[in-house]
Amino acid sequence: MDILLLNILNGLSWGMLLFLIAVGLSTVFGVMGVLNFAHGSLFMLGAYLCMQAMQYFDSFWFGLLVGPLCAVIVGVLIEKFLLKRIYDRDVSYQLLLTFAILLILDDAVRMIWGSGYHVVDPPAILSGIMSIASQDYPVYRFFLILIGPLIGGLLWSFFHFTKWGKIIRAASFDNIMAEGVGINVPLIYTAVFALGTWLAAFGGALAAPLQSLNPSMGEKIIIESFIVVVVGGMGSFPGAFVGALLLGMLESFGPVFAGRAQMALPYILLAVILLIKPNGLFRKGV
Amino acid sequence: MKKKIFSILIALSFVLISFIGAHAASTAKIGFTYIMSGPLSAYGQFAKQGAELAIKEINAAGGINGQKIEGFFEDSTGKADVALRAIRKLVYQDNVDILIGLDSSGVAKTVVPSIEQMKTPLIITHAATPDVTGSVCNKYTFRISLNLSQNVKAAALIAKESGAQKWTTVGPDYAFGHQSWEYFSKYLKELNPAANFLPQTQVAFPPFKTTDFSPYITKVMGSKPDGVFISLWGGNLIDFVRQASSMGFFNGDFQVLMSLGGATEVLTALGDKMPEGLWVGTRYWFLANDSPMNNKFAKDYFTTFGAYPSYNAHGAYSAVYAYKAAAEKAGSFDKMAIVKALEGLKIELPTGMIEFRKGDHQAVTDAHWGKTAADPAYPHRILKPIKIFKGADVTPSVAETGCSLGAAM
Repeated sequence: MDILLLNILNGLSWGMLLFLIAVGLSTVFGVMGVLNFAHGSLFMLGAYLCMQAMQYFDSFWFGLLVGPLCAVIVGVLIEKFLLKRIYDRDVSYQLLLTFAILLILDDAVRMIWGSGYHVVDPPAILSGIMSIASQDYPVYRFFLILIGPLIGGLLWSFFHFTKWGKIIRAASFDNIMAEGVGINVPLIYTAVFALGTWLAAFGGALAAPLQSLNPSMGEKIIIESFIVVVVGGMGSFPGAFVGALLLGMLESFGPVFAGRAQMALPYILLAVILLIKPNGLFRKGV
Repeated sequence: MKKKIFSILIALSFVLISFIGAHAASTAKIGFTYIMSGPLSAYGQFAKQGAELAIKEINAAGGINGQKIEGFFEDSTGKADVALRAIRKLVYQDNVDILIGLDSSGVAKTVVPSIEQMKTPLIITHAATPDVTGSVCNKYTFRISLNLSQNVKAAALIAKESGAQKWTTVGPDYAFGHQSWEYFSKYLKELNPAANFLPQTQVAFPPFKTTDFSPYITKVMGSKPDGVFISLWGGNLIDFVRQASSMGFFNGDFQVLMSLGGATEVLTALGDKMPEGLWVGTRYWFLANDSPMNNKFAKDYFTTFGAYPSYNAHGAYSAVYAYKAAAEKAGSFDKMAIVKALEGLKIELPTGMIEFRKGDHQAVTDAHWGKTAADPAYPHRILKPIKIFKGADVTPSVAETGCSLGAAM
């Protein structure tokens, strides 16, 4: 019973972190039609910038606030100077370009902060253990479990209830028509890419107290994010949520029930979804 | 037409380069192959620093047999095919006199059988798989660093003394993790017949790419062992230790042994987040040996690079000095003469005296373990007390390694 509860909590906390990262990837794809390979590197950049900001301000909260915002600046520059040029070209250009950005970001981080491991401490209020149903569990992971739905809810309300959110959705449905009715689509694209970057970097900053920082941490997360997005449906908001939860639970319970076969579970999930619902769980047919 | 001229030019330049390479042999050339890029590139960095320090010292003191030495560095990227290509380039294009390096056991196992065709001595300084000085050993291949079976034998000796009976493991899900557990179970069973080991379904082998270890931590804690043998290393170990301590893993319900927890890169990254009082092992510990040579190495390394030498830095540094000793013993740089001179060579290194055993070419070198402890003089945990296991006590017999070097040369 205890093990069951612990595994559910493990799956939830990891799943919520995955959700934040995947929802950024999914939103960028949904609105702009860009499959951003560099999303994982922006995640990594967010973690490093958070660490750097923490050293200046000596507070995790400042790091969490400032780090991702600095990453957003990088994201905006990438969109304005690189991505913008290839929107009307073949999709393979996007893949090449975003992959190049991934390599450049990874090596830039390696040059600045070195290739060694770095460690970020959680803030005092979130470190330590608390009890739930007579089971001890790290406070920081509870924090992750809460912050996922919180950010998700805010985003969802933004897209559905605010004027800006509605404009973005309109632009993603039909960008030519949106331009026709006077919407500044290039600005929307920049804003959406900035949002996607922020989500990745915020995820990175949140992951920093959980795992060691290394220039390659983005390469690991991008694969899982892709699985989440494909399972949930490209561009689907609830899809990213459900996909992330599914993957989180699978990775948490996998080692218990499947032994060594657990490594294959995410890919089996991916293959099954592609076979029975090629558009993902939540995306309506194209 | 233009293309043709271009390719002729390229071909010509290759000929020229190899020509220069073959004839400008007034220096002794050492070819280093380490992981210089990707997630594990820190290990290549350490090795390169150690190697460069040794080369600088030796050249400043007049070189080897009156000749300066020159280092050539190649990136193995941790992949066997890339490493093999890099080594072929070093041997056939750069015409190196000796090869030093190899981080990954998987790479080493692929490279070692091909070394015979290249007829060039290789000193392995990191890769720990027992096989390269065991089942696939050959006369050109030597290893200066502590290997898996030596390190794990020391772990088993500590495990026996701890009195814990029911053991489980957390290790990376590839040959290194599985072999570590296999050897640990075997050695401990010999030392303490009452010890028992959890079945394969209950031990934890997280894949190498794991960043969230909580399911494995939960699993191991749930199995209520007396002792846990951990063979995770590098970033995996750092992540594991932080997540495990926040989940109460180190609260003293069981013994914890980490076969590579004493690595400086792990201790440095973790700082005061490394719990105290855990048994950790390492292939080299900069405070374990109070010899003038070790003190000088640790001090020079620290002043040059601003960090305490890691085991990989020590391995590369030592291998260059072992090559120097062999070349001086042989009085030549001839590859066969070097192989002969390395066999049975006894040399003092910062870690202590070692001997390249004739039977399998594995260095008989001490294993270092210790308990993690805080010390105000260092920003990270150090080992206190230190337990040094003599090389002869932890190195399995040649017969046990399964190595057969064939007839004498």
